[in-house]
Amino acid sequence: MRVLVLAATLAALSAGAALAAGALEVVPEAPAGSTEVKIAKMKFATPEVRIKAGSAVTWTNTEALPHNVHFKPGGSVDKELEGPMLRSNQTFSVQFNTPGTYDYICTPHPFMKGKVVVE
Amino acid sequence: MMTHAYAPLRHAFRYGSSALSAAALAALMAAGPVAAAEPGSAAKQAADLAAGKADDPVVLKAPAPNARRVYVYDPKHFAAISQSFIIDGDTARVLGTADSGFMGNPIVASDGSFFGHANTVFSRIARGKRTDYVELLDSRTADPIADIELPNAPRFLVGTYPWMTALTPNNKTLLFYQFSPQPAVGVVDLAGKKFDRMIEVPDCYHIFPSSNDTFFMHCRDGSLLKVSIGADGKSQTKRTEIFHKENEYVINHPAYSPKNGRLVWPTYTGKIFQVDLSSQEAKFLPAIEAFTEAEKNDGWAPGGWQQVAYHRDSDRIFLLGDQRAASKHKAPSRFLFVIDAKSGKRLSKIELKHEIDSVGVSQDAKPQLYALSTGARTLFIFDPETGKEMSSVNQLGAGPQVITTSDM
Repeated sequence: MRVLVLAATLAALSAGAALAAGALEVVPEAPAGSTEVKIAKMKFATPEVRIKAGSAVTWTNTEALPHNVHFKPGGSVDKELEGPMLRSNQTFSVQFNTPGTYDYICTPHPFMKGKVVVE
Repeated sequence: MMTHAYAPLRHAFRYGSSALSAAALAALMAAGPVAAAEPGSAAKQAADLAAGKADDPVVLKAPAPNARRVYVYDPKHFAAISQSFIIDGDTARVLGTADSGFMGNPIVASDGSFFGHANTVFSRIARGKRTDYVELLDSRTADPIADIELPNAPRFLVGTYPWMTALTPNNKTLLFYQFSPQPAVGVVDLAGKKFDRMIEVPDCYHIFPSSNDTFFMHCRDGSLLKVSIGADGKSQTKRTEIFHKENEYVINHPAYSPKNGRLVWPTYTGKIFQVDLSSQEAKFLPAIEAFTEAEKNDGWAPGGWQQVAYHRDSDRIFLLGDQRAASKHKAPSRFLFVIDAKSGKRLSKIELKHEIDSVGVSQDAKPQLYALSTGARTLFIFDPETGKEMSSVNQLGAGPQVITTSDM
Protein backbone atom coordinates (compact mmCIF):
# COMPACT_ATOMS: atom_id res chain seq x y z
CA MET A 1 0.00 0.00 0.00
CA ARG A 2 2.79 2.39 0.94
CA VAL A 3 4.50 1.71 -2.35
CA LEU A 4 1.29 2.59 -4.16
CA VAL A 5 0.88 5.82 -2.22
CA LEU A 6 4.48 6.77 -2.93
CA ALA A 7 4.02 6.05 -6.61
CA ALA A 8 0.91 8.20 -6.67
CA THR A 9 2.75 11.05 -4.96
CA LEU A 10 5.60 10.85 -7.43
CA ALA A 11 3.13 10.90 -10.30
CA ALA A 12 1.42 13.94 -8.81
CA LEU A 13 4.74 15.69 -8.33
CA SER A 14 5.88 15.06 -11.87
CA ALA A 15 2.48 16.21 -13.18
CA GLY A 16 2.82 19.35 -11.07
CA ALA A 17 6.28 20.00 -12.42
CA ALA A 18 5.02 19.58 -15.95
CA LEU A 19 2.19 22.04 -15.34
CA ALA A 20 4.44 24.54 -13.58
CA ALA A 21 5.51 25.94 -16.90
CA GLY A 22 1.94 27.10 -17.55
CA ALA A 23 0.00 29.98 -16.09
CA LEU A 24 -2.22 27.63 -14.11
CA GLU A 25 -0.72 24.98 -11.87
CA VAL A 26 -2.84 22.46 -10.04
CA VAL A 27 -1.38 21.97 -6.57
CA PRO A 28 -2.11 18.86 -4.52
CA GLU A 29 -3.38 20.58 -1.39
CA ALA A 30 -4.15 24.10 -0.22
CA PRO A 31 -0.79 25.86 0.17
CA ALA A 32 -0.23 28.21 3.10
CA GLY A 33 -1.76 31.62 2.44
CA SER A 34 -4.00 30.37 -0.33
CA THR A 35 -7.18 32.37 -0.98
CA GLU A 36 -10.39 30.50 -0.06
CA VAL A 37 -13.46 30.35 -2.30
CA LYS A 38 -16.39 28.45 -0.86
CA ILE A 39 -19.01 26.86 -3.11
CA ALA A 40 -22.58 26.85 -1.76
CA LYS A 41 -26.16 27.19 -2.99
CA MET A 42 -25.16 26.89 -6.66
CA LYS A 43 -22.72 29.78 -6.36
CA PHE A 44 -19.07 30.60 -5.95
CA ALA A 45 -19.45 32.54 -2.72
CA THR A 46 -16.66 34.96 -3.69
CA PRO A 47 -17.13 35.22 -7.43
CA GLU A 48 -14.14 37.54 -7.86
CA VAL A 49 -10.86 37.25 -5.97
CA ARG A 50 -7.63 39.21 -6.39
CA ILE A 51 -4.29 37.55 -5.71
CA LYS A 52 -0.60 38.09 -6.37
CA ALA A 53 1.16 36.10 -9.08
CA GLY A 54 2.59 32.89 -7.64
CA SER A 55 -0.10 32.48 -4.99
CA ALA A 56 -2.98 30.02 -5.01
CA VAL A 57 -6.76 29.78 -4.72
CA THR A 58 -8.47 26.88 -2.97
CA TRP A 59 -12.07 26.04 -3.70
CA THR A 60 -14.12 24.08 -1.17
CA ASN A 61 -17.51 22.64 -2.04
CA THR A 62 -19.73 22.94 1.04
CA GLU A 63 -22.88 21.30 -0.33
CA ALA A 64 -23.97 17.82 -1.37
CA LEU A 65 -24.39 18.79 -5.03
CA PRO A 66 -21.06 18.20 -6.83
CA HIS A 67 -19.36 21.22 -8.42
CA ASN A 68 -16.03 21.90 -10.09
CA VAL A 69 -13.86 24.69 -11.43
CA HIS A 70 -13.42 24.82 -15.19
CA PHE A 71 -11.16 27.25 -17.07
CA LYS A 72 -11.92 27.37 -20.80
CA PRO A 73 -9.37 28.62 -23.34
CA GLY A 74 -9.70 32.35 -24.02
CA GLY A 75 -8.47 35.54 -22.41
CA SER A 76 -5.59 34.75 -20.06
CA VAL A 77 -6.29 31.00 -20.22
CA ASP A 78 -4.25 29.41 -22.99
CA LYS A 79 -4.88 25.80 -22.06
CA GLU A 80 -8.16 24.30 -20.83
CA LEU A 81 -8.23 23.21 -17.21
CA GLU A 82 -11.27 21.20 -16.14
CA GLY A 83 -11.05 20.47 -12.43
CA PRO A 84 -12.48 17.28 -10.91
CA MET A 85 -16.01 17.27 -9.52
CA LEU A 86 -15.83 18.10 -5.82
CA ARG A 87 -18.17 16.38 -3.40
CA SER A 88 -19.10 17.91 -0.10
CA ASN A 89 -16.03 19.26 1.79
CA GLN A 90 -13.58 18.34 -0.96
CA THR A 91 -11.11 20.97 -2.12
CA PHE A 92 -9.23 21.92 -5.28
CA SER A 93 -6.26 24.30 -5.44
CA VAL A 94 -4.70 26.15 -8.35
CA GLN A 95 -1.55 28.28 -8.25
CA PHE A 96 -1.58 31.24 -10.65
CA ASN A 97 1.88 31.99 -12.01
CA THR A 98 1.13 34.73 -14.52
CA PRO A 99 -0.76 38.01 -14.05
CA GLY A 100 -4.08 38.25 -15.85
CA THR A 101 -7.81 37.68 -15.45
CA TYR A 102 -8.93 34.08 -15.32
CA ASP A 103 -12.66 33.40 -15.85
CA TYR A 104 -14.08 30.06 -14.86
CA ILE A 105 -17.37 28.18 -14.63
CA CYS A 106 -18.73 24.98 -13.12
CA THR A 107 -18.95 22.42 -15.96
CA PRO A 108 -22.49 21.08 -15.36
CA HIS A 109 -23.76 24.46 -14.07
CA PRO A 110 -22.42 27.01 -16.58
CA PHE A 111 -24.45 29.77 -14.95
CA MET A 112 -22.05 29.46 -11.98
CA LYS A 113 -19.28 31.87 -12.90
CA GLY A 114 -16.18 33.13 -11.15
CA LYS A 115 -13.06 35.13 -11.80
CA VAL A 116 -9.52 35.22 -10.44
CA VAL A 117 -7.61 38.45 -11.04
CA VAL A 118 -3.86 37.85 -10.73
CA GLU A 119 -1.72 40.95 -10.21
CA MET B 1 -41.34 3.74 -53.77
CA MET B 2 -37.95 3.28 -55.27
CA THR B 3 -38.28 -0.38 -56.09
CA HIS B 4 -35.05 -0.53 -58.03
CA ALA B 5 -31.79 -0.08 -56.27
CA TYR B 6 -30.35 2.85 -58.17
CA ALA B 7 -31.46 5.72 -55.98
CA PRO B 8 -28.60 6.77 -53.71
CA LEU B 9 -30.50 9.50 -51.82
CA ARG B 10 -30.19 9.53 -48.09
CA HIS B 11 -33.66 10.93 -47.68
CA ALA B 12 -36.54 9.25 -49.39
CA PHE B 13 -40.11 9.90 -50.27
CA ARG B 14 -42.39 7.05 -51.06
CA TYR B 15 -46.00 6.40 -51.83
CA GLY B 16 -48.09 3.39 -51.11
CA SER B 17 -46.45 0.07 -51.66
CA SER B 18 -45.43 -1.16 -55.04
CA ALA B 19 -43.27 -3.98 -53.76
CA LEU B 20 -45.93 -6.61 -54.13
CA SER B 21 -45.18 -10.01 -55.53
CA ALA B 22 -46.65 -11.17 -58.79
CA ALA B 23 -48.77 -13.65 -56.90
CA ALA B 24 -50.23 -10.93 -54.76
CA LEU B 25 -50.91 -8.84 -57.81
CA ALA B 26 -52.67 -11.71 -59.49
CA ALA B 27 -54.74 -12.27 -56.39
CA LEU B 28 -55.71 -8.61 -56.27
CA MET B 29 -56.56 -8.63 -59.95
CA ALA B 30 -58.90 -11.48 -59.34
CA ALA B 31 -60.27 -9.94 -56.18
CA GLY B 32 -62.03 -6.87 -57.43
CA PRO B 33 -62.62 -3.99 -59.80
CA VAL B 34 -59.68 -1.78 -60.62
CA ALA B 35 -61.51 1.20 -62.04
CA ALA B 36 -61.52 3.17 -58.76
CA ALA B 37 -57.94 2.33 -57.92
CA GLU B 38 -55.91 5.15 -56.39
CA PRO B 39 -52.55 6.00 -57.93
CA GLY B 40 -49.78 3.85 -56.59
CA SER B 41 -52.15 1.26 -55.12
CA ALA B 42 -51.84 -2.46 -55.71
CA ALA B 43 -55.08 -2.35 -57.71
CA LYS B 44 -53.69 0.38 -59.95
CA GLN B 45 -50.53 -1.62 -60.47
CA ALA B 46 -52.55 -4.69 -61.27
CA ALA B 47 -54.56 -2.71 -63.81
CA ASP B 48 -51.36 -1.36 -65.36
CA LEU B 49 -49.98 -4.86 -65.55
CA ALA B 50 -53.15 -6.18 -67.14
CA ALA B 51 -53.05 -3.35 -69.68
CA GLY B 52 -49.49 -4.27 -70.56
CA LYS B 53 -48.08 -0.96 -69.31
CA ALA B 54 -44.33 -1.11 -68.67
CA ASP B 55 -43.00 -0.50 -65.19
CA ASP B 56 -41.13 2.81 -65.16
CA PRO B 57 -39.35 3.35 -61.83
CA VAL B 58 -38.92 6.95 -60.77
CA VAL B 59 -37.94 8.84 -57.63
CA LEU B 60 -41.20 10.25 -56.37
CA LYS B 61 -42.02 13.73 -55.14
CA ALA B 62 -44.35 14.43 -52.29
CA PRO B 63 -47.37 16.66 -52.93
CA ALA B 64 -47.06 20.30 -51.91
CA PRO B 65 -47.12 20.52 -48.13
CA ASN B 66 -50.31 21.66 -46.46
CA ALA B 67 -51.44 22.28 -42.89
CA ARG B 68 -51.84 18.53 -42.37
CA ARG B 69 -48.23 17.74 -43.17
CA VAL B 70 -46.84 16.31 -39.93
CA TYR B 71 -43.23 15.60 -39.07
CA VAL B 72 -42.52 13.02 -36.39
CA TYR B 73 -38.98 13.03 -35.05
CA ASP B 74 -37.51 9.89 -33.53
CA PRO B 75 -34.37 10.50 -31.43
CA LYS B 76 -34.23 6.69 -31.04
CA HIS B 77 -33.56 6.80 -27.32
CA PHE B 78 -30.27 8.75 -27.70
CA ALA B 79 -28.92 6.75 -30.65
CA ALA B 80 -26.16 8.34 -32.75
CA ILE B 81 -28.37 8.42 -35.84
CA SER B 82 -31.99 9.57 -35.69
CA GLN B 83 -34.85 9.83 -38.16
CA SER B 84 -37.80 11.98 -39.12
CA PHE B 85 -41.00 10.60 -40.61
CA ILE B 86 -42.89 12.84 -43.00
CA ILE B 87 -46.59 12.11 -42.76
CA ASP B 88 -49.68 13.24 -44.60
CA GLY B 89 -52.31 13.65 -41.88
CA ASP B 90 -55.19 13.52 -44.37
CA THR B 91 -54.36 10.05 -45.62
CA ALA B 92 -52.40 8.92 -42.54
CA ARG B 93 -49.57 7.76 -44.77
CA VAL B 94 -45.83 8.09 -44.51
CA LEU B 95 -44.66 10.21 -47.44
CA GLY B 96 -41.01 9.81 -46.70
CA THR B 97 -38.22 9.81 -44.18
CA ALA B 98 -35.17 11.94 -43.47
CA ASP B 99 -32.07 10.88 -41.58
CA SER B 100 -30.41 13.06 -39.01
CA GLY B 101 -27.64 12.78 -36.46
CA PHE B 102 -27.33 12.67 -32.68
CA MET B 103 -30.14 14.47 -30.86
CA GLY B 104 -31.21 16.50 -33.90
CA ASN B 105 -33.52 19.45 -33.55
CA PRO B 106 -36.25 19.32 -36.20
CA ILE B 107 -37.50 22.53 -37.78
CA VAL B 108 -40.14 23.26 -40.41
CA ALA B 109 -40.65 26.51 -42.31
CA SER B 110 -43.85 28.38 -41.46
CA ASP B 111 -44.87 28.25 -45.13
CA GLY B 112 -43.98 24.55 -45.34
CA SER B 113 -41.42 25.17 -48.08
CA PHE B 114 -38.60 23.37 -46.30
CA PHE B 115 -37.88 21.33 -43.24
CA GLY B 116 -34.65 20.21 -41.67
CA HIS B 117 -32.58 19.64 -38.59
CA ALA B 118 -29.80 21.09 -36.53
CA ASN B 119 -27.56 18.03 -36.47
CA THR B 120 -24.53 16.50 -34.85
CA VAL B 121 -22.43 13.75 -36.43
CA PHE B 122 -19.11 12.16 -35.55
CA SER B 123 -16.40 10.84 -37.89
CA ARG B 124 -16.59 7.36 -36.28
CA ILE B 125 -20.35 6.99 -35.70
CA ALA B 126 -20.40 7.97 -32.02
CA ARG B 127 -16.81 9.14 -31.46
CA GLY B 128 -14.03 10.93 -33.32
CA LYS B 129 -14.33 14.40 -34.78
CA ARG B 130 -17.63 16.07 -34.01
CA THR B 131 -19.39 18.18 -36.62
CA ASP B 132 -22.46 20.29 -35.88
CA TYR B 133 -24.42 21.59 -38.84
CA VAL B 134 -27.82 22.75 -40.00
CA GLU B 135 -29.36 20.86 -42.89
CA LEU B 136 -32.39 22.15 -44.77
CA LEU B 137 -34.36 19.80 -46.99
CA ASP B 138 -36.82 20.46 -49.77
CA SER B 139 -40.31 19.59 -48.54
CA ARG B 140 -41.27 17.80 -51.78
CA THR B 141 -38.08 15.91 -52.61
CA ALA B 142 -36.27 15.73 -49.24
CA ASP B 143 -33.13 16.73 -51.14
CA PRO B 144 -30.68 18.92 -49.19
CA ILE B 145 -30.97 22.59 -50.11
CA ALA B 146 -28.51 23.91 -47.52
CA ASP B 147 -25.78 22.45 -45.33
CA ILE B 148 -24.35 25.02 -42.95
CA GLU B 149 -21.57 24.06 -40.54
CA LEU B 150 -21.63 25.43 -36.99
CA PRO B 151 -18.10 26.17 -35.71
CA ASN B 152 -16.77 24.73 -32.42
CA ALA B 153 -19.55 22.16 -31.90
CA PRO B 154 -21.87 24.59 -30.10
CA ARG B 155 -25.11 22.56 -30.04
CA PHE B 156 -26.73 21.65 -26.74
CA LEU B 157 -27.12 17.87 -26.76
CA VAL B 158 -30.33 17.20 -24.87
CA GLY B 159 -33.56 15.23 -25.17
CA THR B 160 -35.35 17.04 -28.00
CA TYR B 161 -37.00 20.27 -26.89
CA PRO B 162 -38.54 21.89 -29.96
CA TRP B 163 -37.91 25.46 -28.78
CA MET B 164 -34.18 24.95 -28.31
CA THR B 165 -33.87 25.57 -32.05
CA ALA B 166 -36.20 28.01 -33.78
CA LEU B 167 -36.79 29.83 -37.05
CA THR B 168 -37.59 33.52 -37.27
CA PRO B 169 -41.04 34.27 -38.78
CA ASN B 170 -39.53 35.02 -42.23
CA ASN B 171 -37.73 31.63 -42.18
CA LYS B 172 -34.46 33.37 -43.01
CA THR B 173 -32.68 32.90 -39.69
CA LEU B 174 -32.25 29.88 -37.46
CA LEU B 175 -31.47 30.34 -33.77
CA PHE B 176 -30.09 27.54 -31.63
CA TYR B 177 -29.19 27.24 -27.97
CA GLN B 178 -25.74 26.61 -26.51
CA PHE B 179 -25.57 25.43 -22.89
CA SER B 180 -21.85 24.97 -22.33
CA PRO B 181 -19.36 26.57 -21.74
CA GLN B 182 -21.79 29.46 -21.31
CA PRO B 183 -25.39 30.13 -22.25
CA ALA B 184 -25.56 31.57 -25.74
CA VAL B 185 -27.76 31.61 -28.81
CA GLY B 186 -26.27 30.87 -32.22
CA VAL B 187 -27.50 32.84 -35.21
CA VAL B 188 -27.50 31.04 -38.56
CA ASP B 189 -28.20 33.03 -41.71
CA LEU B 190 -30.25 30.60 -43.77
CA ALA B 191 -30.75 33.06 -46.61
CA GLY B 192 -26.97 33.60 -46.91
CA LYS B 193 -26.31 29.94 -46.03
CA LYS B 194 -23.75 30.77 -43.36
CA PHE B 195 -23.23 30.75 -39.61
CA ASP B 196 -23.42 34.30 -38.35
CA ARG B 197 -22.46 34.56 -34.65
CA MET B 198 -23.08 33.53 -31.07
CA ILE B 199 -25.00 35.87 -28.80
CA GLU B 200 -24.02 35.54 -25.14
CA VAL B 201 -27.04 35.51 -22.87
CA PRO B 202 -27.59 35.21 -19.11
CA ASP B 203 -28.68 31.88 -17.60
CA CYS B 204 -31.82 31.60 -19.71
CA TYR B 205 -33.21 28.74 -21.78
CA HIS B 206 -35.38 28.15 -24.89
CA ILE B 207 -35.83 30.50 -27.84
CA PHE B 208 -39.16 32.02 -28.86
CA PRO B 209 -38.76 34.34 -31.86
CA SER B 210 -41.38 37.10 -31.79
CA SER B 211 -40.09 38.94 -34.87
CA ASN B 212 -37.30 38.55 -37.39
CA ASP B 213 -34.81 40.21 -35.03
CA THR B 214 -36.31 39.63 -31.57
CA PHE B 215 -36.65 36.55 -29.44
CA PHE B 216 -37.56 35.72 -25.87
CA MET B 217 -36.03 33.21 -23.44
CA HIS B 218 -37.02 31.88 -20.03
CA CYS B 219 -34.51 32.55 -17.28
CA ARG B 220 -33.50 30.65 -14.19
CA ASP B 221 -34.85 33.40 -11.93
CA GLY B 222 -38.39 33.01 -13.35
CA SER B 223 -38.33 36.00 -15.69
CA LEU B 224 -38.32 36.16 -19.47
CA LEU B 225 -35.42 37.71 -21.37
CA LYS B 226 -36.07 39.80 -24.46
CA VAL B 227 -33.15 39.68 -26.91
CA SER B 228 -32.94 42.16 -29.80
CA ILE B 229 -30.49 40.65 -32.26
CA GLY B 230 -29.37 43.99 -33.75
CA ALA B 231 -28.25 44.35 -37.35
CA ASP B 232 -24.90 45.83 -36.29
CA GLY B 233 -23.95 42.70 -34.39
CA LYS B 234 -24.66 44.34 -31.05
CA SER B 235 -27.46 42.54 -29.30
CA GLN B 236 -29.49 44.03 -26.49
CA THR B 237 -31.18 42.15 -23.69
CA LYS B 238 -33.87 43.12 -21.21
CA ARG B 239 -35.47 41.08 -18.44
CA THR B 240 -39.19 41.06 -17.67
CA GLU B 241 -40.75 40.75 -14.26
CA ILE B 242 -40.53 37.36 -12.53
CA PHE B 243 -43.76 35.63 -13.53
CA HIS B 244 -43.66 32.38 -11.60
CA LYS B 245 -42.54 31.27 -8.18
CA GLU B 246 -39.43 29.19 -7.59
CA ASN B 247 -41.51 26.10 -6.71
CA GLU B 248 -43.69 26.38 -9.83
CA TYR B 249 -41.82 24.13 -12.23
CA VAL B 250 -42.59 24.98 -15.84
CA ILE B 251 -42.21 22.07 -18.28
CA ASN B 252 -39.55 21.70 -20.99
CA HIS B 253 -42.11 21.59 -23.78
CA PRO B 254 -44.18 24.75 -23.81
CA ALA B 255 -46.37 25.48 -26.85
CA TYR B 256 -45.58 28.60 -28.81
CA SER B 257 -47.45 30.10 -31.74
CA PRO B 258 -45.10 32.47 -33.61
CA LYS B 259 -48.02 33.75 -35.70
CA ASN B 260 -49.78 35.36 -32.75
CA GLY B 261 -46.89 35.37 -30.29
CA ARG B 262 -48.69 33.22 -27.75
CA LEU B 263 -46.57 31.28 -25.32
CA VAL B 264 -48.48 28.60 -23.39
CA TRP B 265 -46.47 27.21 -20.50
CA PRO B 266 -47.87 24.62 -18.06
CA THR B 267 -46.34 23.67 -14.72
CA TYR B 268 -46.04 20.18 -13.23
CA THR B 269 -49.40 20.69 -11.50
CA GLY B 270 -51.32 21.98 -14.54
CA LYS B 271 -51.19 25.69 -13.83
CA ILE B 272 -50.85 27.26 -17.27
CA PHE B 273 -48.99 30.53 -17.75
CA GLN B 274 -49.71 32.41 -20.96
CA VAL B 275 -47.64 35.24 -22.39
CA ASP B 276 -48.52 37.37 -25.39
CA LEU B 277 -45.30 38.33 -27.19
CA SER B 278 -46.98 39.77 -30.30
CA SER B 279 -46.15 43.40 -29.43
CA GLN B 280 -42.45 42.50 -28.93
CA GLU B 281 -43.02 43.05 -25.22
CA ALA B 282 -44.12 40.31 -22.83
CA LYS B 283 -47.74 40.71 -21.74
CA PHE B 284 -48.56 38.19 -19.03
CA LEU B 285 -52.13 36.89 -19.28
CA PRO B 286 -54.01 35.55 -16.25
CA ALA B 287 -52.84 32.04 -15.36
CA ILE B 288 -55.23 29.11 -15.82
CA GLU B 289 -55.63 26.02 -13.67
CA ALA B 290 -56.21 22.91 -15.82
CA PHE B 291 -57.31 20.85 -12.83
CA THR B 292 -59.56 21.56 -9.86
CA GLU B 293 -58.21 21.20 -6.34
CA ALA B 294 -60.26 17.98 -6.00
CA GLU B 295 -58.70 16.56 -9.17
CA LYS B 296 -55.21 17.49 -8.00
CA ASN B 297 -55.91 15.71 -4.73
CA ASP B 298 -56.93 12.68 -6.80
CA GLY B 299 -53.53 12.73 -8.50
CA TRP B 300 -54.44 14.45 -11.78
CA ALA B 301 -51.49 16.22 -13.36
CA PRO B 302 -49.99 16.83 -16.80
CA GLY B 303 -47.42 14.34 -18.04
CA GLY B 304 -45.54 13.17 -21.11
CA TRP B 305 -43.07 14.79 -23.50
CA GLN B 306 -44.82 17.42 -25.64
CA GLN B 307 -47.61 17.78 -23.11
CA VAL B 308 -49.31 20.82 -24.57
CA ALA B 309 -50.47 22.10 -27.95
CA TYR B 310 -52.16 25.37 -28.87
CA HIS B 311 -54.56 26.05 -31.75
CA ARG B 312 -54.27 29.67 -32.78
CA ASP B 313 -57.56 30.23 -34.64
CA SER B 314 -59.79 28.77 -31.96
CA ASP B 315 -57.52 29.96 -29.10
CA ARG B 316 -57.60 26.49 -27.55
CA ILE B 317 -55.13 24.64 -25.40
CA PHE B 318 -54.73 20.84 -25.53
CA LEU B 319 -53.08 19.37 -22.46
CA LEU B 320 -52.12 15.73 -21.80
CA GLY B 321 -53.09 14.65 -18.30
CA ASP B 322 -53.60 11.60 -16.16
CA GLN B 323 -53.60 10.41 -12.58
CA ARG B 324 -49.98 9.93 -11.61
CA ALA B 325 -47.61 9.82 -8.70
CA ALA B 326 -45.51 12.90 -8.06
CA SER B 327 -42.28 12.96 -10.12
CA LYS B 328 -43.90 10.85 -12.86
CA HIS B 329 -44.23 13.91 -15.08
CA LYS B 330 -42.49 12.27 -18.04
CA ALA B 331 -44.75 9.20 -18.06
CA PRO B 332 -47.39 9.13 -20.81
CA SER B 333 -51.01 10.21 -20.34
CA ARG B 334 -54.27 8.58 -21.41
CA PHE B 335 -56.38 11.72 -21.46
CA LEU B 336 -56.42 15.05 -23.23
CA PHE B 337 -57.95 18.19 -21.76
CA VAL B 338 -59.28 20.81 -24.17
CA ILE B 339 -59.24 24.25 -22.59
CA ASP B 340 -60.42 27.64 -23.80
CA ALA B 341 -57.29 29.77 -23.54
CA LYS B 342 -59.17 33.00 -22.88
CA SER B 343 -61.57 31.91 -20.15
CA GLY B 344 -59.60 28.94 -18.85
CA LYS B 345 -62.79 26.88 -19.09
CA ARG B 346 -62.44 23.16 -19.79
CA LEU B 347 -64.29 22.39 -23.02
CA SER B 348 -63.82 18.64 -23.07
CA LYS B 349 -61.85 15.71 -21.78
CA ILE B 350 -60.90 13.18 -24.43
CA GLU B 351 -60.10 9.63 -23.46
CA LEU B 352 -57.29 8.78 -25.87
CA LYS B 353 -57.27 5.06 -25.01
CA HIS B 354 -53.53 4.90 -25.66
CA GLU B 355 -50.45 5.82 -23.65
CA ILE B 356 -49.67 9.17 -25.27
CA ASP B 357 -46.39 11.04 -24.83
CA SER B 358 -46.73 13.97 -27.22
CA VAL B 359 -49.55 16.02 -28.62
CA GLY B 360 -49.72 18.33 -31.62
CA VAL B 361 -52.45 20.06 -33.59
CA SER B 362 -52.74 21.18 -37.21
CA GLN B 363 -53.44 24.91 -37.55
CA ASP B 364 -56.22 24.77 -40.15
CA ALA B 365 -59.83 25.74 -39.43
CA LYS B 366 -60.95 22.19 -38.58
CA PRO B 367 -57.79 20.91 -37.00
CA GLN B 368 -56.52 17.39 -36.63
CA LEU B 369 -55.15 16.39 -33.29
CA TYR B 370 -51.94 14.35 -33.30
CA ALA B 371 -51.26 12.04 -30.38
CA LEU B 372 -47.93 10.24 -30.44
CA SER B 373 -47.11 7.15 -28.42
CA THR B 374 -43.38 6.63 -27.94
CA GLY B 375 -43.96 3.14 -26.53
CA ALA B 376 -46.31 2.03 -29.32
CA ARG B 377 -44.27 4.00 -31.91
CA THR B 378 -47.57 5.12 -33.38
CA LEU B 379 -49.14 8.45 -34.29
CA PHE B 380 -52.88 8.49 -33.59
CA ILE B 381 -54.93 11.10 -35.41
CA PHE B 382 -58.03 12.41 -33.62
CA ASP B 383 -60.86 14.79 -34.38
CA PRO B 384 -60.58 17.15 -31.42
CA GLU B 385 -64.23 18.21 -31.76
CA THR B 386 -65.68 14.73 -31.29
CA GLY B 387 -62.71 13.18 -29.52
CA LYS B 388 -62.88 10.32 -32.02
CA GLU B 389 -59.76 8.52 -33.24
CA MET B 390 -59.79 8.83 -37.04
CA SER B 391 -56.65 7.00 -38.13
CA SER B 392 -53.16 6.05 -37.10
CA VAL B 393 -49.66 5.57 -38.49
CA ASN B 394 -47.50 2.88 -36.91
CA GLN B 395 -43.89 1.65 -37.11
CA LEU B 396 -42.49 5.12 -36.50
CA GLY B 397 -38.94 4.16 -35.61
CA ALA B 398 -37.65 3.25 -32.17
CA GLY B 399 -38.80 6.00 -29.82
CA PRO B 400 -40.65 8.80 -31.65
CA GLN B 401 -41.14 11.84 -29.44
CA VAL B 402 -41.59 15.09 -31.32
CA ILE B 403 -44.45 16.31 -33.51
CA THR B 404 -43.86 19.33 -35.77
CA THR B 405 -46.42 21.05 -38.00
CA SER B 406 -46.42 24.42 -39.72
CA ASP B 407 -48.94 27.19 -39.23
CA MET B 408 -49.45 28.20 -42.86
